[in-house]
Amino acid sequence: MSSIELDHVSKLYASGAYGVRDVDLTIGDGEFVIFLGPSGCGKSTTLRMIAGLESITSGDLRIGGRSVTHVPPRERNIAVVFQSYALYPHMSVRENMGFGLKMRGTPRAVIEEKIRDAAQLLGLAPYLDRKPAALSGGQRQRVALGRAIVRDPVAFLLDEPLSNLDAQLRAEMRLELVKLHRRLGRTIVHVTHDQVEAMTMGDRICIMRDGRMIQVGKPLEVYADPVDTFVARFLATPPMNLIPARLEGEGDGLVVKADGIAVPVPEMHRAAYAPAAGREVILGLRPEDLHETAEPGFARIEVTVVAMEALGVENILVGQIGWDKPVEIAARLSRHYTAPIGARVPLYVDARPMHLFDPETTRALPRPRLAPGGGGVILPASPAAPAASLPRAASTLPGASALARS
Amino acid sequence: MLRRVALHSGLLLACAVILLPLLWVVRVSLLPEPLSYSTDLMPGATLDNYVALFTTTRYGQSYLNSLIVAVGSVIVALPFAAMTGYAFARFKTSGRFGRFAVLATQMLPPVAIVLPVFTLFRIAGLTNSLTGLVIVYAALNLPFLIWILMGFFEGIPVDLEWAAQTDGATAWGAFWRIVLPVSLPGIAAAGVLGFILTWNEFLFALVLSGPQTATVPVALASLQTSNGVQIAKVSAGVVLAVLPLVIASRFIQRFIVQGLTFGSVK
Repeated sequence: MSSIELDHVSKLYASGAYGVRDVDLTIGDGEFVIFLGPSGCGKSTTLRMIAGLESITSGDLRIGGRSVTHVPPRERNIAVVFQSYALYPHMSVRENMGFGLKMRGTPRAVIEEKIRDAAQLLGLAPYLDRKPAALSGGQRQRVALGRAIVRDPVAFLLDEPLSNLDAQLRAEMRLELVKLHRRLGRTIVHVTHDQVEAMTMGDRICIMRDGRMIQVGKPLEVYADPVDTFVARFLATPPMNLIPARLEGEGDGLVVKADGIAVPVPEMHRAAYAPAAGREVILGLRPEDLHETAEPGFARIEVTVVAMEALGVENILVGQIGWDKPVEIAARLSRHYTAPIGARVPLYVDARPMHLFDPETTRALPRPRLAPGGGGVILPASPAAPAASLPRAASTLPGASALARS
Repeated sequence: MLRRVALHSGLLLACAVILLPLLWVVRVSLLPEPLSYSTDLMPGATLDNYVALFTTTRYGQSYLNSLIVAVGSVIVALPFAAMTGYAFARFKTSGRFGRFAVLATQMLPPVAIVLPVFTLFRIAGLTNSLTGLVIVYAALNLPFLIWILMGFFEGIPVDLEWAAQTDGATAWGAFWRIVLPVSLPGIAAAGVLGFILTWNEFLFALVLSGPQTATVPVALASLQTSNGVQIAKVSAGVVLAVLPLVIASRFIQRFIVQGLTFGSVK
């Protein structure tokens, strides 16, 4: 049993500033959870509080049902992999991996066996007698993981362990970590500011900002239904296009009008957005929902091409809409699409996954949730059902009610 | 090519400026006393000055005293310096004021405290004793060593200690098993610098020591007699006095460089 419960946990510094504020989250036994957020958002501090390396100012922390708020790190049986790997430079790989077991008085033969097993698992067997300085970045990273694995901890806490690796090695290690999680079945909390890691590795993403956990959910759910403009922009590259607009009624329908564009609201969202008719809104469109070819139901807009980024697999068009207050938007188009800089070109908006945000609060206006894949609509269930399916933190978040209602 | 010649000429000149006095001292130490002011390059060569230094003066005893006092004061001061430096580096121990207060003791001219120290030591019966000198040098070197080691500890990532603590070590265990071994170069550098400071110190040794406990600088000063300075003998003494510093610096050079730069390069 290795669940981790953060019960309204806060970290208040002597200066009066909050490092972490009222985080309320339950991480299930064997779950792979990602803490995602920009630098200084409190994600590493939260991780260190779980490890016992930072004191908790208020709230309670339970691991496996036992309160460990005032328990020192050595008695929590948690393993941490640091961004710097924190390998002991004066010890060999073997000594690094065996240090934790030695501290716990494990017999030498058992230590040797566990080191051998972990080294085999991670491909470190040839390097056991080397010092960390004689290893490459990827090897050091694996030693740090091995040091954690041999101890057989109740949970692994990973503090941006991939951020010092090059892009290719990072992609490989991402996959390795996911496989390792499947094989070990232990709870993993992984801190990162990399959206790709967040989207591909975890069972759930917890997005943090200014010390608060602002949205918790499955990666695709969070991607499809961000609670506010911050999450909407943070979770992808290029980020969601946010266009200041006005929601107006036209006959039976609704149209989002901005400087130079008019996007009819699809029928599936009309009822949800109807109360906001006549108000200023922010229209949120993902770059992949802008297309170069028309299909039934798509809305036509015109953009002035500012830049074309050819990524090989696709082309990113950066364009400008509007004249009085021009807004730059990005569109993911096919790799065959080209357009000269400065040209005026049409794009076609698939408005089904659209979002509207309140410009004052920046929070999403509630609407039915799309099924993963963008096809059908998940109909509102009984009020209790979605709330129960949400993690505790999400259900207590200000924006969670919007999700729950949908 | 011309640039390289100019550069090397400049370097040779700089080396000459630094090394010539030392080479002159070595030369004089090998000349008979009557020829010590000769203008010839090497009018003779003898080891008589070295022999005389050990047979007709207490230089050998002073040499041993200096070694005992310098090594002893470093051994006494280093553990305190390491613990205080670590506390300053890792925690908010006494804040900026504490750090400044430690440094402030170095700002007093030694002559201002030598007489109070003499008075206290006389009451405590520590004058004319090596123990007294070890204590006073340990105290004098402590602020300097604390600052050197503080910089060194600040350069050691706190992640290492956190990793040790999550691996099952106590805070003390993390310091003892991880921080201390990792900082050995810094501690060695601090130790050598403390040794050099003590080895060269003159004022306190002059006031607090007696004939039996005089250190090398005091012994060298005593070679100035009513008949004048015995320059050849003094030179031999200087050559021997410089010897341990040269050996120590040679072996611990890289530690000194690393120790002095570790804290600033992150």
